[in-house]
Amino acid sequence: MRLFLIFLLGFLLAGCTKPEPLYNTQSYVFGTLVDITIYGESEAKAQMLSNEIIRNFQSLHNRLHTWHPSELKTLNQAFSQGKTPVSIQPDVAKMIADAAKLSIQSKGAFNPAIGSLIEAWGFHHDEFKPVKVDANKLHNLVQANPQMADIVIQSNTAYSNNPAVQLDLGGYAKGYALDIALAYLRQQGAKNALINIGGNIIALGKHGDKPWRVGIQHPRKPNAIATLDLESGWAIGTSGDYQRYFELDGKRYCHVIDPATGYPVQGVESVTVLIPPQNNAGTLSDVASKPIFIANPEARAEAAKAMGVENYLVIESADKILVSKTMSKRIIWLDKEAAKHAVQIQPSP
Amino acid sequence: MPFKFSHHPKPLIGDWLVIFASFALVIFMFQSFWVFEQASNLKIRQGNQIVGTFDLNQTRELHIKGPIGESIIVINQGKVRFKQSPCRNQYCVHQGWLSRAGQVAICLPNQISLQLMGEKSSYDSLNY
Amino acid sequence: MTHSTINISTTAEDHHIAKLTALAIGLHMIEAVIPSPLPGVKPGIANIVTLFVLYEYGFATAAWVSLLRVFASSLLLGQFLSPTFVLSLSGALLSLTALSLAQYLPKKYFSAITLSILAAFAHIAGQLIVVRLWLIPHTGIIYLIPIFALAALVFGLINGLITAKLIKNN
Repeated sequence: MRLFLIFLLGFLLAGCTKPEPLYNTQSYVFGTLVDITIYGESEAKAQMLSNEIIRNFQSLHNRLHTWHPSELKTLNQAFSQGKTPVSIQPDVAKMIADAAKLSIQSKGAFNPAIGSLIEAWGFHHDEFKPVKVDANKLHNLVQANPQMADIVIQSNTAYSNNPAVQLDLGGYAKGYALDIALAYLRQQGAKNALINIGGNIIALGKHGDKPWRVGIQHPRKPNAIATLDLESGWAIGTSGDYQRYFELDGKRYCHVIDPATGYPVQGVESVTVLIPPQNNAGTLSDVASKPIFIANPEARAEAAKAMGVENYLVIESADKILVSKTMSKRIIWLDKEAAKHAVQIQPSP
Repeated sequence: MPFKFSHHPKPLIGDWLVIFASFALVIFMFQSFWVFEQASNLKIRQGNQIVGTFDLNQTRELHIKGPIGESIIVINQGKVRFKQSPCRNQYCVHQGWLSRAGQVAICLPNQISLQLMGEKSSYDSLNY
Repeated sequence: MTHSTINISTTAEDHHIAKLTALAIGLHMIEAVIPSPLPGVKPGIANIVTLFVLYEYGFATAAWVSLLRVFASSLLLGQFLSPTFVLSLSGALLSLTALSLAQYLPKKYFSAITLSILAAFAHIAGQLIVVRLWLIPHTGIIYLIPIFALAALVFGLINGLITAKLIKNN
């Protein structure tokens, strides 16, 4: 019997394997969960790196906050009061210029100047409740036609030609933050990391000898619908109607608002885009899903093409799932139902 | 009842058979039920309900109510334990830290169980 | 096994059985207060008495002694109808079922050791069934099964050896 126990003990010990050099930390920034995973660094270094990233995120979030006092709020107040230039930080100037370019590229579907519309729908609160919005008010806000092109930037000052312009970088800042974090990690010599800001993910290096693998959330179930390998430098982002939304009279009102109508987009549950390595991969992963989300079903392929997006996945409903040809090669379905209903999107001519 | 321990009873051939068969059965059970994988997730149940699934890579204290009171569960960077329990015998608290996939700590009186799971989720992070 | 077990008019034997039951209750209660590293893992020394009675007085008496012990101990410990009592009872019932079948094994090849091991496995199986069905209705306890099984084997063997000695000495 003693022999058996010794054998058993040996068996138990043999089972213990060395832990992976994997560091993971989570915190709340940008009103959402930030999840940083670093592979292959000492715990001390990984902790230092992620602390620094979180600090940068927090500072960016504070500066760009839409409904708490911030640099952005000051700027918005100045915009609404006329054409007096106010000084802005160089990085904010760069962000505005970049967002303006992307807005034109999206033919106005991505429009961070419609802060007033988002405010009208009550999404400028930490917790939002169902609101009935006056149709006239929405009409007026759309008619005022706030555009990123109305903003004039001159040597670190900015003013707006249109007092209706109210910046809301909610669909931009998280992606931008991913790019900043990736650049920082590279500069610090980190080789492998995965950064997730509220669902937007960018990858650096690998997870050991395998690429980083990410799951794509099922828009209506509490689990992943599919997974895919996120290779170094790639970024993934999703616009969904299931993260920030309210329901009123059985209808779902999500936080993605069509600037052309002033109303939340309906009839689509989620759009996921996969962006190959480039300087602003993170930003694109945040921005590029919106025009596809907002576009009419028949115009989605065109919207994707305009944003330069080749890999994307559209879930309109449980039995209407569309996936681009290149994306379908990368995706591994976890949800059998979804796999059955997935159809390849015809590319835009 | 004055029992004398003079005889040494020898197991009979059938006894040996039973002993070896049981032995084999126990080894088989260990091999098939125990997986020695570092756990990454923790599933907490209270009664029939799943309280939730928690990432083990965090430091966190959970307060969970059961039929006899509140149990305190602590997650600490890859391991978890019952820290406080209203139960009388405190078996759950004495079980100490759990860290391997498949490990379970149960507080019967308060109907709370901790179950550690491995990398069942086949991805590193979730896009949502 | 020449005695008729139904013959309870024999007062001497009656007393003897009562004494054995008291002994079983005593052993049960001693175990109940000794802390165990894992709930449910106990040597089960009271089963020695059950086995001994099975050999000396037959199955019916053994069943009485075993069930009396479960009920009396739980009443004395204030656990009557508590989960502990139900676990005890289900273990005892399944253990008795196993013994009721195992007693027909040829004595030439199978001694008290076999019966003790089988009873121990049945005991733990009875408890696990109750735990799974009633107390913790999910599959998590599957991981505890090997530990319980190992304990059943070890203690079943030891108790069986002790019982075999007692029978030879008596």
